[in-house]
Amino acid sequence: MSDWMRKVLESKQQMRKYLTALPFSKKIELLEKLRDRHLSIASNPLRLPRKI
Amino acid sequence: MKATLTAINQMQENGVIGKYAIGGAVGAVFYLEPSATLDIDIFVSIQTLPDSALITIAPIYDYLTAQGYKAEGEYIVIEGWPVQFLPPGDPLTEEALAQAVETEVEGVRTWVMTAEHLVAIALKTGRAKDFARILQFIESGVLDADQLDTILARHGLLEKWNRFGYKFLGEMGDNQ
Repeated sequence: MSDWMRKVLESKQQMRKYLTALPFSKKIELLEKLRDRHLSIASNPLRLPRKI
Repeated sequence: MKATLTAINQMQENGVIGKYAIGGAVGAVFYLEPSATLDIDIFVSIQTLPDSALITIAPIYDYLTAQGYKAEGEYIVIEGWPVQFLPPGDPLTEEALAQAVETEVEGVRTWVMTAEHLVAIALKTGRAKDFARILQFIESGVLDADQLDTILARHGLLEKWNRFGYKFLGEMGDNQ
């Protein structure tokens, strides 16, 4: 594994630890943003099945 | 979600439901990093009628629809969040509900299942996303191994846990 890749993985792990340690209210706030984004992407017409 | 939990607490105060606990993906967020989910699983104790052993969630739906909330399939949308009410179907979920941890979301009191119970229920449910969540719990290091073993043994899930470990953790163990 390259140093660069190792740094990327370490950074990811640190971010996950940071997010895990957040207060529940803050996590719920983030979860709501993730949900809004998911719903927004899902409602994009480009994602709707096209008629052939 | 604050408004959703406030409405559920009000339902509890009005005697429609007894004790409740958040389970599923939202429950897991209490212990893990946030991940996208579209609904809330609320495990809830419901009093049966004196002359009946039948457990029904109809009173919950009746109460909430009278409040103007709409049912969508197995969910009822409360303040923008689809909520699924699940009466405990077995001793494991009964225990998880009884031992739920009290917490707060933006000042609103609520209850969340313990990490060990969430893992045991996910193992029992056994879908791909449940196994993924179990792996997240293991990686996070939040589980009390003794507590989890006790729960798994008490509810006959040790063999399933061993199979899970062999299937998903075997290679990880070999690489360490």
